[in-house]
Amino acid sequence: MNTAHILTAFDRDLEAAQALVVRMGGLVETALLDAAEALDTRDEDLAARVRAGDKAIDSLEDEINTRCALLLALRGPTAGDLRTVLTVMKIAASLERAGDYAKNLAKRTSALAQMPQVPGASGSIRRLAKAVVQMLTDALDAYIRRDLKLAEDVRRRDRDVDQMYNSIFREFLTHMMEDPRTIGPCMHLHFIAKNIERVGDHATAVAEQVIYLVTGALPEDERPKVDSTGTGT
Amino acid sequence: MDDMRGTVRDIGSTTMKISASDVQVHYGQNHALKDVSVDILDRAVTAFIGPSGCGKSTFLRCLNRMNDTVASARVSGKILLDGEDIYDPRVDPVQLRAKVGMVFQKPNPFPKSIYDNVAYGPKIHGLTRNTAELDEIVESSLRKAALWNEVKDRLDAAGTGLSGGQQQRLCIARAVATGPEVLLMDEPCSALDPIATAQVEELIDELRNQFSVVIVTHSMQQAARVSQKTAFFHLGNLVEYADTTEIFTNPKDPRTEAYITGRIG
Repeated sequence: MNTAHILTAFDRDLEAAQALVVRMGGLVETALLDAAEALDTRDEDLAARVRAGDKAIDSLEDEINTRCALLLALRGPTAGDLRTVLTVMKIAASLERAGDYAKNLAKRTSALAQMPQVPGASGSIRRLAKAVVQMLTDALDAYIRRDLKLAEDVRRRDRDVDQMYNSIFREFLTHMMEDPRTIGPCMHLHFIAKNIERVGDHATAVAEQVIYLVTGALPEDERPKVDSTGTGT
Repeated sequence: MDDMRGTVRDIGSTTMKISASDVQVHYGQNHALKDVSVDILDRAVTAFIGPSGCGKSTFLRCLNRMNDTVASARVSGKILLDGEDIYDPRVDPVQLRAKVGMVFQKPNPFPKSIYDNVAYGPKIHGLTRNTAELDEIVESSLRKAALWNEVKDRLDAAGTGLSGGQQQRLCIARAVATGPEVLLMDEPCSALDPIATAQVEELIDELRNQFSVVIVTHSMQQAARVSQKTAFFHLGNLVEYADTTEIFTNPKDPRTEAYITGRIG
Protein backbone atom coordinates (compact mmCIF):
# COMPACT_ATOMS: atom_id res chain seq x y z
CA MET A 1 0.00 0.00 0.00
CA ASN A 2 2.58 2.49 -1.12
CA THR A 3 0.11 4.65 -2.97
CA ALA A 4 -2.86 6.46 -1.54
CA HIS A 5 -6.42 5.83 -2.55
CA ILE A 6 -8.05 8.45 -4.73
CA LEU A 7 -10.79 8.56 -2.12
CA THR A 8 -8.70 9.81 0.80
CA ALA A 9 -11.40 9.05 3.36
CA PHE A 10 -10.77 5.35 2.67
CA ASP A 11 -7.11 5.78 3.65
CA ARG A 12 -8.08 7.62 6.79
CA ASP A 13 -10.43 4.81 7.84
CA LEU A 14 -7.84 2.09 7.17
CA GLU A 15 -5.14 4.00 8.98
CA ALA A 16 -7.34 4.78 11.95
CA ALA A 17 -8.18 1.09 12.42
CA GLN A 18 -4.50 0.20 12.33
CA ALA A 19 -3.60 3.03 14.69
CA LEU A 20 -6.11 1.65 17.18
CA VAL A 21 -4.44 -1.76 16.99
CA VAL A 22 -1.04 -0.18 17.62
CA ARG A 23 -2.50 1.69 20.59
CA MET A 24 -4.00 -1.52 21.91
CA GLY A 25 -0.65 -3.27 21.51
CA GLY A 26 1.02 -0.55 23.55
CA LEU A 27 -1.47 -0.99 26.37
CA VAL A 28 -1.00 -4.76 26.37
CA GLU A 29 2.79 -4.46 26.44
CA THR A 30 2.63 -2.08 29.39
CA ALA A 31 0.14 -4.31 31.21
CA LEU A 32 2.41 -7.34 30.83
CA LEU A 33 5.56 -5.53 31.94
CA ASP A 34 3.74 -3.95 34.88
CA ALA A 35 2.26 -7.28 35.90
CA ALA A 36 5.70 -8.90 35.83
CA GLU A 37 7.16 -6.07 37.84
CA ALA A 38 4.33 -6.20 40.37
CA LEU A 39 5.05 -9.90 40.78
CA ASP A 40 8.77 -9.35 41.24
CA THR A 41 8.44 -6.47 43.71
CA ARG A 42 5.20 -7.73 45.38
CA ASP A 43 3.58 -4.44 44.50
CA GLU A 44 -0.14 -4.97 45.07
CA ASP A 45 -1.11 -1.45 43.99
CA LEU A 46 0.53 -1.91 40.64
CA ALA A 47 -1.16 -5.30 40.28
CA ALA A 48 -4.52 -3.67 41.01
CA ARG A 49 -3.87 -1.04 38.33
CA VAL A 50 -3.08 -3.74 35.79
CA ARG A 51 -6.35 -5.49 36.61
CA ALA A 52 -8.31 -2.28 36.24
CA GLY A 53 -6.54 -1.43 32.98
CA ASP A 54 -7.90 -4.46 31.14
CA LYS A 55 -11.20 -2.66 30.60
CA ALA A 56 -9.53 -0.12 28.34
CA ILE A 57 -7.99 -2.93 26.29
CA ASP A 58 -11.33 -4.67 25.91
CA SER A 59 -13.12 -1.52 24.86
CA LEU A 60 -10.44 -0.81 22.25
CA GLU A 61 -11.11 -4.24 20.78
CA ASP A 62 -14.82 -3.41 20.64
CA GLU A 63 -14.08 -0.18 18.86
CA ILE A 64 -11.75 -1.89 16.38
CA ASN A 65 -14.42 -4.46 15.58
CA THR A 66 -17.02 -1.74 15.03
CA ARG A 67 -14.67 0.20 12.75
CA CYS A 68 -13.83 -2.93 10.79
CA ALA A 69 -17.50 -3.81 10.39
CA LEU A 70 -18.09 -0.33 8.96
CA LEU A 71 -15.09 -0.63 6.67
CA LEU A 72 -16.44 -3.92 5.32
CA ALA A 73 -20.00 -2.66 5.00
CA LEU A 74 -19.29 0.77 3.58
CA ARG A 75 -16.08 0.52 1.61
CA GLY A 76 -16.08 -3.01 0.26
CA PRO A 77 -12.31 -3.46 0.60
CA THR A 78 -10.53 -5.85 -1.77
CA ALA A 79 -7.06 -7.41 -2.10
CA GLY A 80 -4.51 -5.78 0.24
CA ASP A 81 -7.18 -3.55 1.76
CA LEU A 82 -9.29 -6.59 2.59
CA ARG A 83 -6.29 -8.35 4.13
CA THR A 84 -5.59 -5.24 6.18
CA VAL A 85 -9.10 -5.26 7.64
CA LEU A 86 -9.03 -9.01 8.29
CA THR A 87 -5.62 -8.88 9.99
CA VAL A 88 -6.62 -5.88 12.09
CA MET A 89 -9.51 -7.91 13.50
CA LYS A 90 -7.41 -11.01 14.14
CA ILE A 91 -4.57 -9.09 15.73
CA ALA A 92 -7.02 -7.24 17.96
CA ALA A 93 -8.42 -10.59 19.10
CA SER A 94 -4.91 -11.87 19.91
CA LEU A 95 -4.10 -8.70 21.82
CA GLU A 96 -7.33 -8.95 23.77
CA ARG A 97 -6.37 -12.47 24.88
CA ALA A 98 -2.88 -11.29 25.81
CA GLY A 99 -4.46 -8.52 27.86
CA ASP A 100 -6.56 -11.09 29.71
CA TYR A 101 -3.41 -13.04 30.56
CA ALA A 102 -1.81 -9.88 31.96
CA LYS A 103 -4.89 -9.37 34.10
CA ASN A 104 -4.68 -12.97 35.32
CA LEU A 105 -1.02 -12.45 36.21
CA ALA A 106 -1.98 -9.47 38.31
CA LYS A 107 -4.72 -11.43 40.06
CA ARG A 108 -2.33 -14.22 40.97
CA THR A 109 0.21 -11.65 42.12
CA SER A 110 -2.28 -10.45 44.73
CA ALA A 111 -2.81 -14.04 45.90
CA LEU A 112 0.93 -14.73 45.96
CA ALA A 113 1.57 -11.71 48.13
CA GLN A 114 0.03 -13.65 51.03
CA MET A 115 2.28 -16.69 50.52
CA PRO A 116 5.94 -17.48 51.24
CA GLN A 117 8.30 -16.44 48.45
CA VAL A 118 9.84 -19.04 46.15
CA PRO A 119 13.54 -18.20 45.73
CA GLY A 120 14.51 -17.10 42.22
CA ALA A 121 11.06 -17.66 40.76
CA SER A 122 9.88 -14.10 40.09
CA GLY A 123 13.22 -13.25 38.47
CA SER A 124 12.98 -16.01 35.89
CA ILE A 125 9.33 -15.17 35.26
CA ARG A 126 10.26 -11.57 34.70
CA ARG A 127 12.90 -12.61 32.17
CA LEU A 128 10.31 -14.75 30.40
CA ALA A 129 7.87 -11.83 30.37
CA LYS A 130 10.50 -9.52 28.92
CA ALA A 131 11.30 -11.93 26.12
CA VAL A 132 7.61 -12.32 25.32
CA VAL A 133 6.87 -8.61 25.40
CA GLN A 134 9.82 -8.07 23.06
CA MET A 135 8.25 -10.59 20.68
CA LEU A 136 4.97 -8.71 20.85
CA THR A 137 6.66 -5.35 20.29
CA ASP A 138 8.56 -6.71 17.31
CA ALA A 139 5.47 -8.39 15.89
CA LEU A 140 3.61 -5.07 16.00
CA ASP A 141 6.61 -3.25 14.53
CA ALA A 142 6.69 -5.82 11.77
CA TYR A 143 3.00 -5.10 11.25
CA ILE A 144 3.46 -1.35 10.98
CA ARG A 145 6.41 -1.68 8.63
CA ARG A 146 5.05 -4.73 6.79
CA ASP A 147 8.41 -6.33 7.65
CA LEU A 148 8.44 -10.01 6.66
CA LYS A 149 11.92 -10.69 8.00
CA LEU A 150 11.09 -9.37 11.44
CA ALA A 151 7.85 -11.34 11.47
CA GLU A 152 9.72 -14.54 10.63
CA ASP A 153 12.20 -13.73 13.37
CA VAL A 154 9.40 -13.37 15.94
CA ARG A 155 8.05 -16.75 14.90
CA ARG A 156 11.45 -18.33 15.42
CA ARG A 157 11.84 -16.76 18.84
CA ASP A 158 8.77 -18.54 20.11
CA ARG A 159 11.02 -21.60 20.35
CA ASP A 160 13.27 -19.80 22.86
CA VAL A 161 10.26 -18.81 24.92
CA ASP A 162 9.06 -22.41 24.98
CA GLN A 163 12.49 -23.47 26.22
CA MET A 164 12.48 -20.84 28.94
CA TYR A 165 9.06 -22.04 30.00
CA ASN A 166 10.28 -25.65 30.10
CA SER A 167 13.15 -24.83 32.40
CA ILE A 168 10.88 -22.79 34.68
CA PHE A 169 8.54 -25.76 34.79
CA ARG A 170 11.38 -28.04 35.92
CA GLU A 171 12.58 -25.46 38.42
CA PHE A 172 9.15 -25.36 40.07
CA LEU A 173 8.84 -29.11 40.04
CA THR A 174 12.15 -29.35 41.92
CA HIS A 175 10.99 -26.80 44.48
CA MET A 176 7.74 -28.62 45.08
CA MET A 177 9.42 -31.99 45.50
CA GLU A 178 11.96 -30.60 47.92
CA ASP A 179 9.51 -28.62 50.03
CA PRO A 180 5.75 -29.30 49.86
CA ARG A 181 5.06 -25.90 51.50
CA THR A 182 5.97 -24.27 48.20
CA ILE A 183 3.29 -26.20 46.31
CA GLY A 184 0.70 -23.38 46.74
CA PRO A 185 2.83 -20.53 45.44
CA CYS A 186 4.48 -22.74 42.83
CA MET A 187 1.11 -23.69 41.37
CA HIS A 188 0.27 -20.00 40.96
CA LEU A 189 3.70 -19.27 39.58
CA HIS A 190 3.40 -22.12 37.14
CA PHE A 191 0.10 -20.80 35.81
CA ILE A 192 1.71 -17.41 35.48
CA ALA A 193 4.59 -18.85 33.48
CA LYS A 194 2.21 -20.86 31.31
CA ASN A 195 0.09 -17.77 30.65
CA ILE A 196 3.12 -15.74 29.65
CA GLU A 197 4.16 -18.55 27.35
CA ARG A 198 0.70 -18.32 25.77
CA VAL A 199 1.14 -14.61 25.21
CA GLY A 200 4.19 -15.68 23.21
CA ASP A 201 1.87 -17.83 21.08
CA HIS A 202 -0.34 -14.80 20.49
CA ALA A 203 2.68 -12.69 19.53
CA THR A 204 3.51 -15.45 17.07
CA ALA A 205 -0.04 -15.33 15.76
CA VAL A 206 0.35 -11.58 15.20
CA ALA A 207 3.59 -12.23 13.30
CA GLU A 208 1.80 -14.81 11.16
CA GLN A 209 -0.89 -12.24 10.36
CA VAL A 210 1.88 -9.93 9.14
CA ILE A 211 3.05 -12.69 6.81
CA TYR A 212 -0.52 -13.17 5.58
CA LEU A 213 -0.96 -9.44 5.10
CA VAL A 214 2.20 -9.09 3.04
CA THR A 215 2.19 -12.33 1.05
CA GLY A 216 -1.51 -13.20 0.97
CA ALA A 217 -0.86 -16.63 2.51
CA LEU A 218 -0.18 -17.94 5.99
CA PRO A 219 3.18 -19.68 6.49
CA GLU A 220 2.84 -23.33 5.50
CA ASP A 221 5.52 -24.93 7.65
CA GLU A 222 4.62 -26.11 11.14
CA ARG A 223 5.56 -23.58 13.75
CA PRO A 224 8.60 -24.78 15.71
CA LYS A 225 7.47 -26.11 19.09
CA VAL A 226 9.59 -27.39 21.93
CA ASP A 227 7.17 -27.57 24.80
CA SER A 228 8.12 -30.96 26.28
CA THR A 229 6.35 -30.57 29.60
CA GLY A 230 3.31 -32.40 28.35
CA THR A 231 5.38 -35.53 27.65
CA GLY A 232 6.30 -35.97 31.28
CA THR A 233 9.48 -35.21 33.10
CA MET B 1 0.09 5.47 11.68
CA ASP B 2 -1.06 7.05 14.91
CA ASP B 3 -4.15 8.96 13.91
CA MET B 4 -6.98 6.98 15.38
CA ARG B 5 -9.77 9.14 14.05
CA GLY B 6 -11.50 7.32 11.26
CA THR B 7 -13.32 9.57 8.88
CA VAL B 8 -16.20 7.55 9.85
CA ARG B 9 -18.86 9.94 9.03
CA ASP B 10 -18.83 12.63 11.57
CA ILE B 11 -21.46 15.03 10.41
CA GLY B 12 -20.16 18.58 10.44
CA SER B 13 -23.38 20.21 11.47
CA THR B 14 -26.82 19.55 12.81
CA THR B 15 -28.39 22.49 10.99
CA MET B 16 -31.28 21.65 8.70
CA LYS B 17 -30.77 22.96 5.19
CA ILE B 18 -33.86 21.57 3.53
CA SER B 19 -36.95 20.44 5.29
CA ALA B 20 -39.53 18.59 3.19
CA SER B 21 -42.88 17.50 4.56
CA ASP B 22 -45.68 15.44 3.00
CA VAL B 23 -44.36 15.87 -0.53
CA GLN B 24 -46.53 14.20 -3.18
CA VAL B 25 -45.84 14.13 -6.89
CA HIS B 26 -48.23 13.00 -9.63
CA TYR B 27 -47.26 12.62 -13.26
CA GLY B 28 -50.75 12.67 -14.80
CA GLN B 29 -52.46 9.60 -13.31
CA ASN B 30 -49.23 8.18 -11.95
CA HIS B 31 -48.70 8.76 -8.24
CA ALA B 32 -44.89 8.87 -8.31
CA LEU B 33 -44.09 10.09 -4.82
CA LYS B 34 -46.20 9.47 -1.73
CA ASP B 35 -46.02 11.55 1.40
CA VAL B 36 -42.28 12.02 1.64
CA SER B 37 -40.92 13.92 4.63
CA VAL B 38 -37.17 14.39 4.95
CA ASP B 39 -34.88 16.81 6.73
CA ILE B 40 -31.62 17.34 4.87
CA LEU B 41 -28.62 18.49 6.85
CA ASP B 42 -26.32 21.32 5.96
CA ARG B 43 -22.70 20.42 5.23
CA ALA B 44 -23.37 16.74 4.84
CA VAL B 45 -23.85 14.32 1.98
CA THR B 46 -27.28 12.74 1.78
CA ALA B 47 -27.72 9.79 -0.57
CA PHE B 48 -31.01 8.65 -2.09
CA ILE B 49 -31.03 4.99 -3.04
CA GLY B 50 -33.70 2.66 -4.38
CA PRO B 51 -34.64 0.69 -7.48
CA SER B 52 -35.54 2.40 -10.77
CA GLY B 53 -38.88 4.18 -10.62
CA CYS B 54 -38.86 4.39 -6.83
CA GLY B 55 -39.19 8.17 -6.86
CA LYS B 56 -35.72 9.19 -5.74
CA SER B 57 -34.92 11.27 -8.83
CA THR B 58 -38.42 12.71 -8.77
CA PHE B 59 -37.90 13.86 -5.22
CA LEU B 60 -34.46 15.24 -6.02
CA ARG B 61 -35.98 17.27 -8.86
CA CYS B 62 -38.54 18.74 -6.47
CA LEU B 63 -35.74 20.29 -4.46
CA ASN B 64 -34.88 22.85 -7.13
CA ARG B 65 -38.25 22.84 -8.89
CA MET B 66 -36.99 20.99 -11.95
CA ASN B 67 -40.38 19.30 -12.06
CA ASP B 68 -41.86 22.68 -13.03
CA THR B 69 -40.54 21.98 -16.51
CA VAL B 70 -42.56 18.76 -16.77
CA ALA B 71 -46.06 19.71 -17.95
CA SER B 72 -47.89 16.73 -16.42
CA ALA B 73 -46.21 16.96 -13.03
CA ARG B 74 -48.14 18.13 -9.99
CA VAL B 75 -46.25 18.71 -6.75
CA SER B 76 -47.90 19.19 -3.38
CA GLY B 77 -46.60 19.40 0.16
CA LYS B 78 -44.04 21.71 1.59
CA ILE B 79 -40.31 22.10 0.90
CA LEU B 80 -38.44 24.65 2.97
CA LEU B 81 -34.96 25.86 2.14
CA ASP B 82 -33.54 27.61 5.21
CA GLY B 83 -37.10 27.91 6.46
CA GLU B 84 -38.49 29.50 3.27
CA ASP B 85 -41.01 27.74 1.09
CA ILE B 86 -39.43 27.20 -2.33
CA TYR B 87 -42.86 26.71 -3.94
CA ASP B 88 -43.99 30.14 -2.79
CA PRO B 89 -45.23 32.00 -5.92
CA ARG B 90 -42.87 34.88 -5.14
CA VAL B 91 -39.82 32.61 -5.49
CA ASP B 92 -38.07 32.91 -8.85
CA PRO B 93 -37.14 29.37 -9.91
CA VAL B 94 -34.10 30.65 -11.80
CA GLN B 95 -32.75 32.32 -8.67
CA LEU B 96 -33.59 29.19 -6.70
CA ARG B 97 -31.58 27.02 -9.10
CA ALA B 98 -28.56 29.27 -8.63
CA LYS B 99 -28.78 28.48 -4.92
CA VAL B 100 -29.63 24.83 -5.46
CA GLY B 101 -27.30 23.65 -8.20
CA MET B 102 -27.63 20.43 -10.11
CA VAL B 103 -25.31 17.93 -11.78
CA PHE B 104 -26.82 15.36 -14.11
CA GLN B 105 -26.18 11.77 -14.99
CA LYS B 106 -24.51 12.45 -18.32
CA PRO B 107 -21.93 15.20 -18.45
CA ASN B 108 -23.59 17.97 -20.45
CA PRO B 109 -21.15 20.83 -20.91
CA PHE B 110 -22.29 23.72 -23.12
CA PRO B 111 -20.74 23.67 -26.61
CA LYS B 112 -18.48 26.50 -25.51
CA SER B 113 -14.98 26.88 -24.15
CA ILE B 114 -14.04 25.49 -20.74
CA TYR B 115 -13.85 29.06 -19.45
CA ASP B 116 -17.27 30.05 -20.76
CA ASN B 117 -18.89 26.91 -19.36
CA VAL B 118 -17.94 27.99 -15.85
CA ALA B 119 -18.36 31.74 -16.42
CA TYR B 120 -21.88 31.43 -17.83
CA GLY B 121 -23.77 31.20 -14.54
CA PRO B 122 -21.97 34.06 -12.74
CA LYS B 123 -22.45 36.20 -15.87
CA ILE B 124 -26.21 35.76 -16.25
CA HIS B 125 -26.76 36.17 -12.53
CA GLY B 126 -24.59 39.31 -12.53
CA LEU B 127 -22.32 37.98 -9.80
CA THR B 128 -19.22 39.80 -11.01
CA ARG B 129 -18.37 43.40 -11.87
CA ASN B 130 -15.35 42.89 -14.09
CA THR B 131 -13.29 40.26 -15.88
CA ALA B 132 -10.76 40.01 -13.07
CA GLU B 133 -13.50 38.91 -10.69
CA LEU B 134 -14.89 36.54 -13.27
CA ASP B 135 -11.43 35.04 -13.84
CA GLU B 136 -11.20 34.50 -10.12
CA ILE B 137 -14.55 32.69 -9.90
CA VAL B 138 -13.67 30.50 -12.88
CA GLU B 139 -10.35 29.53 -11.34
CA SER B 140 -11.71 28.89 -7.84
CA SER B 141 -14.62 26.87 -9.22
CA LEU B 142 -12.33 24.74 -11.35
CA ARG B 143 -10.08 24.25 -8.33
CA LYS B 144 -13.02 23.18 -6.18
CA ALA B 145 -13.93 20.68 -8.86
CA ALA B 146 -10.34 19.38 -8.87
CA LEU B 147 -10.02 20.17 -12.55
CA TRP B 148 -7.89 23.33 -12.58
CA ASN B 149 -4.51 21.67 -12.90
CA GLU B 150 -5.65 19.62 -15.86
CA VAL B 151 -7.18 22.49 -17.86
CA LYS B 152 -5.48 25.70 -16.76
CA ASP B 153 -3.38 25.86 -19.93
CA ARG B 154 -6.31 25.36 -22.29
CA LEU B 155 -9.23 27.30 -20.88
CA ASP B 156 -10.18 28.33 -24.42
CA ALA B 157 -10.51 24.75 -25.62
CA ALA B 158 -14.01 23.34 -26.08
CA GLY B 159 -15.56 21.82 -22.95
CA THR B 160 -16.94 18.99 -25.06
CA GLY B 161 -13.40 17.97 -25.99
CA LEU B 162 -12.57 16.82 -22.46
CA SER B 163 -12.77 13.21 -21.30
CA GLY B 164 -16.01 12.00 -19.71
CA GLY B 165 -14.69 12.31 -16.19
CA GLN B 166 -13.27 15.75 -16.87
CA GLN B 167 -16.55 16.86 -18.47
CA GLN B 168 -18.43 15.78 -15.36
CA ARG B 169 -16.03 17.69 -13.14
CA LEU B 170 -16.48 20.67 -15.50
CA CYS B 171 -20.25 20.42 -14.91
CA ILE B 172 -19.60 20.35 -11.17
CA ALA B 173 -17.40 23.46 -11.52
CA ARG B 174 -20.21 25.09 -13.49
CA ALA B 175 -22.71 24.25 -10.75
CA VAL B 176 -20.35 25.49 -8.04
CA ALA B 177 -19.63 28.78 -9.84
CA THR B 178 -22.90 30.46 -8.89
CA GLY B 179 -22.10 29.95 -5.22
CA PRO B 180 -24.86 27.46 -4.46
CA GLU B 181 -25.80 26.34 -0.98
CA VAL B 182 -27.06 22.95 -2.03
CA LEU B 183 -25.72 20.69 -4.75
CA LEU B 184 -28.04 18.07 -6.21
CA MET B 185 -26.41 15.22 -8.10
CA ASP B 186 -28.44 12.79 -10.15
CA GLU B 187 -26.30 9.69 -10.66
CA PRO B 188 -23.23 11.82 -11.36
CA CYS B 189 -20.90 8.85 -11.86
CA SER B 190 -22.99 6.39 -13.82
CA ALA B 191 -21.33 7.37 -17.10
CA LEU B 192 -17.81 7.40 -15.67
CA ASP B 193 -15.04 4.84 -15.32
CA PRO B 194 -13.89 3.75 -11.83
CA ILE B 195 -11.02 6.22 -11.64
CA ALA B 196 -13.13 9.21 -12.66
CA THR B 197 -15.79 7.93 -10.25
CA ALA B 198 -13.29 7.89 -7.41
CA GLN B 199 -12.20 11.42 -8.32
CA VAL B 200 -15.77 12.69 -8.28
CA GLU B 201 -16.41 10.90 -4.97
CA GLU B 202 -13.32 12.44 -3.45
CA LEU B 203 -14.60 15.79 -4.69
CA ILE B 204 -18.01 15.20 -3.11
CA ASP B 205 -16.31 14.46 0.18
CA GLU B 206 -14.52 17.81 -0.03
CA LEU B 207 -17.54 19.76 -1.18
CA ARG B 208 -19.46 18.80 1.89
CA ASN B 209 -17.31 21.17 3.90
CA GLN B 210 -19.05 24.00 2.05
CA PHE B 211 -22.40 22.72 0.82
CA SER B 212 -25.19 20.41 1.51
CA VAL B 213 -24.87 17.67 -1.12
CA VAL B 214 -27.73 15.41 -2.15
CA ILE B 215 -26.85 12.53 -4.43
CA VAL B 216 -29.07 10.03 -6.19
CA THR B 217 -27.20 6.85 -6.99
CA HIS B 218 -27.85 3.34 -8.25
CA SER B 219 -24.63 2.19 -6.71
CA MET B 220 -25.26 1.26 -3.10
CA GLN B 221 -21.54 1.05 -2.56
CA GLN B 222 -21.24 4.62 -3.75
CA ALA B 223 -23.90 5.76 -1.28
CA ALA B 224 -22.03 3.83 1.42
CA ARG B 225 -18.72 5.43 0.49
CA VAL B 226 -19.67 9.07 0.19
CA SER B 227 -22.71 9.84 2.29
CA GLN B 228 -23.41 10.54 5.93
CA LYS B 229 -27.17 10.12 5.60
CA THR B 230 -29.00 7.65 3.40
CA ALA B 231 -32.64 7.58 2.37
CA PHE B 232 -34.10 4.42 0.84
CA PHE B 233 -37.05 4.88 -1.52
CA HIS B 234 -39.31 2.09 -2.73
CA LEU B 235 -42.43 2.35 -4.93
CA GLY B 236 -42.76 6.06 -4.30
CA ASN B 237 -42.43 5.75 -0.53
CA LEU B 238 -39.59 6.82 1.66
CA VAL B 239 -38.97 3.55 3.47
CA GLU B 240 -36.10 4.46 5.73
CA TYR B 241 -33.95 7.49 6.37
CA ALA B 242 -31.03 7.21 8.79
CA ASP B 243 -27.28 7.57 9.24
CA THR B 244 -25.45 5.76 6.45
CA THR B 245 -23.56 3.66 9.00
CA GLU B 246 -26.91 2.53 10.38
CA ILE B 247 -28.51 1.78 7.00
CA PHE B 248 -25.59 -0.37 5.86
CA THR B 249 -24.95 -2.26 9.08
CA ASN B 250 -28.29 -2.48 10.81
CA PRO B 251 -31.26 -1.24 8.79
CA LYS B 252 -34.56 -1.16 10.63
CA ASP B 253 -36.94 -1.93 7.76
CA PRO B 254 -36.80 -5.42 6.21
CA ARG B 255 -37.30 -3.84 2.76
CA THR B 256 -34.13 -1.79 3.21
CA GLU B 257 -32.16 -4.87 4.19
CA ALA B 258 -33.59 -6.83 1.26
CA TYR B 259 -32.58 -4.07 -1.16
CA ILE B 260 -29.06 -3.39 0.09
CA THR B 261 -28.27 -7.10 0.27
CA GLY B 262 -29.51 -7.61 -3.29
CA ARG B 263 -32.78 -9.43 -2.64
CA ILE B 264 -35.35 -7.04 -4.08
CA GLY B 265 -35.06 -4.42 -6.73
